[in-house]
Amino acid sequence: MALDSLVLFTLAGLSLAAVYFIVTAGLSLVFGALRVINMAHGSLYMLAAFVAWFVVAKVAGAEFGFWGALLAAPLFTALIGALIEILVLRPVYGREHLLQLLGTYALTLVFAGAVRLVFGPDVRSYSAPGFLYGGVPVMGHSFARYNLFLMAVAVVIATTLYLVLTRTGLGRNIRAAISDPELLAASGVDVPRLFTTVFMIGTGLAGLGGVLVAPIGSVDPGMDANALINAFAVSVIGGLGSLVGSFVGAVIVGLVLSFGSANSYTAPWATAFVFAAMAIVLTLRPWGLFGRPEQ
Amino acid sequence: MSRFLPATRAGWVRLGLVAASSLVLLLLPLLASLHEWIDPDNASARYDVILGTEAVVLGLWAVSFNLMLGYTGMVSFAHAAYYGVGAYTVALYNTRFHGHILVGLALAPLITGAFGLVTGLVALRAARLYFSLLTLAISQLLFVIAFEWYDFTGGDNGVHNLQIPDDILQPRTLYYITVAVVAGCLALMYGLIRSPLGAALMAIRENRQRASSVGLNVKAYELAVFTIAAAFAGVAGGLYAMYDQQAFPLLLYWSANAQPIVITLLGGTGTFLGPVVGAVIFTWMSVSIGRSFPYQFDIVLGAIVLAVVLIAPGGFVSIPEIFIRLRARFRTAERISRPELAGLGGAASSRGESAGDAIAALDVARVVAVEAASPEVFQAEPPPSDGQVLLKLDQLSRYFGGLRAVDGVSLEVRRGDLHAIIGPNGAGKSTLFNLVTGRLKPNAGRVWFDGKDITGKAAHAVARAGIGRAFQITNIFPKLSVRQNLQYSMLAFRGITVRPWGIADRIFRQEALDLLESVGLGKYADLPAGQLSHGDQRALELAISIALGSKLLLLDEPTAGMSPYETQKAMELVRRVVTEKKLTLLFCEHDMDVVFGTARRVTVMHLGEVLAEGSPAEIRSNPDVRRVYLGELEETA
Repeated sequence: MALDSLVLFTLAGLSLAAVYFIVTAGLSLVFGALRVINMAHGSLYMLAAFVAWFVVAKVAGAEFGFWGALLAAPLFTALIGALIEILVLRPVYGREHLLQLLGTYALTLVFAGAVRLVFGPDVRSYSAPGFLYGGVPVMGHSFARYNLFLMAVAVVIATTLYLVLTRTGLGRNIRAAISDPELLAASGVDVPRLFTTVFMIGTGLAGLGGVLVAPIGSVDPGMDANALINAFAVSVIGGLGSLVGSFVGAVIVGLVLSFGSANSYTAPWATAFVFAAMAIVLTLRPWGLFGRPEQ
Repeated sequence: MSRFLPATRAGWVRLGLVAASSLVLLLLPLLASLHEWIDPDNASARYDVILGTEAVVLGLWAVSFNLMLGYTGMVSFAHAAYYGVGAYTVALYNTRFHGHILVGLALAPLITGAFGLVTGLVALRAARLYFSLLTLAISQLLFVIAFEWYDFTGGDNGVHNLQIPDDILQPRTLYYITVAVVAGCLALMYGLIRSPLGAALMAIRENRQRASSVGLNVKAYELAVFTIAAAFAGVAGGLYAMYDQQAFPLLLYWSANAQPIVITLLGGTGTFLGPVVGAVIFTWMSVSIGRSFPYQFDIVLGAIVLAVVLIAPGGFVSIPEIFIRLRARFRTAERISRPELAGLGGAASSRGESAGDAIAALDVARVVAVEAASPEVFQAEPPPSDGQVLLKLDQLSRYFGGLRAVDGVSLEVRRGDLHAIIGPNGAGKSTLFNLVTGRLKPNAGRVWFDGKDITGKAAHAVARAGIGRAFQITNIFPKLSVRQNLQYSMLAFRGITVRPWGIADRIFRQEALDLLESVGLGKYADLPAGQLSHGDQRALELAISIALGSKLLLLDEPTAGMSPYETQKAMELVRRVVTEKKLTLLFCEHDMDVVFGTARRVTVMHLGEVLAEGSPAEIRSNPDVRRVYLGELEETA
């Protein structure tokens, strides 16, 4: 493989990684603080993409609608997230963990049905504002400007999350919840409110990922499963509950997919390579590269 | 012959239900003909038999799923993938290799079981939540293979045009073949859950940590049940390919898992045949709603799962039970308000199986009964120790960084002795216990038990050597009955749980009951252990320890968290059991009344070292001990 295509495929992989990171960071944060795997994470990602399509196509148009959607859709999924946390998860905290899995799995069915019912089974698409399109010359080739935008957003999100976690009171409480939930409750923190907040941040990030991915892909009713499974792959490799893990895992999965799709022989099997990577990591560290063994 | 007949009324009801539904299943084709004859213009009448076939197959699939979900407590999202593998096995064997359809059906469980074993090995590298994530990934991987491997699987088109002999292809023949195969599979699975192997699975579901401490290799059992469930899902998938004459990638897609999950939850995870009932309801719903309103149907399915999770974890079939329990609780409340409390205990326990209400009544009755009875203090002195050393610690040390938690401790515990270790907080007592039981490895020194060097052995090996530890935190299988707790622990410890045949509840039953009698739990044998009082749960743990053949009993603060009355009772029990069963006792304890009331030899630890050792009287008068330890206590007392 020549140097120029090596660089291009790396860049393509990193732009995939950008979306994976944003989505997985939300899943991972929720798991870290609440010890809940949100199976409906991919559904909220899908929901946000459809809401964004609605805003862009029916309300405001590409130039303003995209920015509006970038704000409105994550807020919308965060609010849905708050409802889920309060109505579905609160009653099952402290009970068998399989109830959390089944409860959030039930939501994936509800959302899948609801989205198809409201928007129909068709594949849709929308555009980002024009100045995000076009190419940037990279070693004699053209690289999509939108992909650079994705990477920039991911870096901003990563930095923001890092600062929130390390520099704010909220972040201190979240980190405390991750390392010792019992002590947290004993120290007078309003744990239910903290959990709702964390869950809103997590589902908001799922929504952000959904809005961002649509201009380079499509808006379709099957995108929930792909997002969820990719997020699982990233978090299994990187380790659930760790921001660094989400980052590294996203880069690994992004690169494997990008290079796996580089030629027509391996392209159909790119997904299989991701699972091979998962299997290798699991054999060496069953709790992921940056995760902690579950008690 | 009588051993095959049910022993209780509930058993007869169950037998009756099974017999009635079997009859309906067998007569279904006749009923369908009747339907067609009465209503010849109704096109749907022709599909009754096919729907019946579908329901029966779904029932098998869901029951196999429930082996994991209900009996072992594992959530797998790969069960649809194994169903799909089974369907592909039959379809591909038939079309690519021109094999007979029934031979393909026989191959399905073998191939699917192999898939389950290999993928299960990967998924079970992780536990619980991670395990569930991995099963989803595996199912997606298998889907990708079915979808992309055009040359072999036909890609997204799937496999069609199966060659099935005409005499099998009749809907009625297909139906009877399906019913026969499903019945056979259900019988095998029923045998499995009643067997010692099934007992091990339930123990794992209840308490993974406790299950491994009674000697179960949890991962191995989980892998076994995962593989077995996959094999039966393969049979179900194979049957599907036979009656629908096709296999296609969407069978393996993750959303297909909704079917076994919804069906199992509809029918209830707690009963063996519940999922079959769920399958019938599900088939009816998918015909009446799913065909015309597919999206609404998804929402309904989601709502059902949510409702079960939030309201009725026993499944929809348990709703009548919830009503009965509520009503019974209401009635019990009325009866307790009347004065005839003493009789209640007997009345409640004779009703046996009705859990919640009986317990509420029992607890009250017990307190009354216990307080009325004259306290029967244990009088007999244990026989003097024969002087033989059972446990010998030689210069044992364990450091945590710079902290010398245990520093060169040498100690001898003689056979038959009642030996206490005391010392202020941080003296190293718990660390010492952990070194003996193998939870921690020493930095230096040796542990000898019964003449053998057990230094640094793993916890389950130490348990097998004969050192039983009662946990600081009470640790039992809460939903199993008190008797089952004991019985299943014996099965596990004696290596019988590898057997997938026999009936677990009949093995060691008398031995378990005798032992329960001797620790005073005889009358609670059929209660769920989680309903016992704190003190009684510890007595149960003690019984488990004895059942596992412990020679040396280690108790780490046995009376922590007990009321003075419970403490007195518990220590009487410990002394009596240790004497009767000729055990040796080593315990550490903060309550000095307990120590001097029980121990015949006392070792005092301070800052990781042995400060003094002697009879209780010697320790009481030792000036060093008084200074560092007893002094503090007396000041506060």
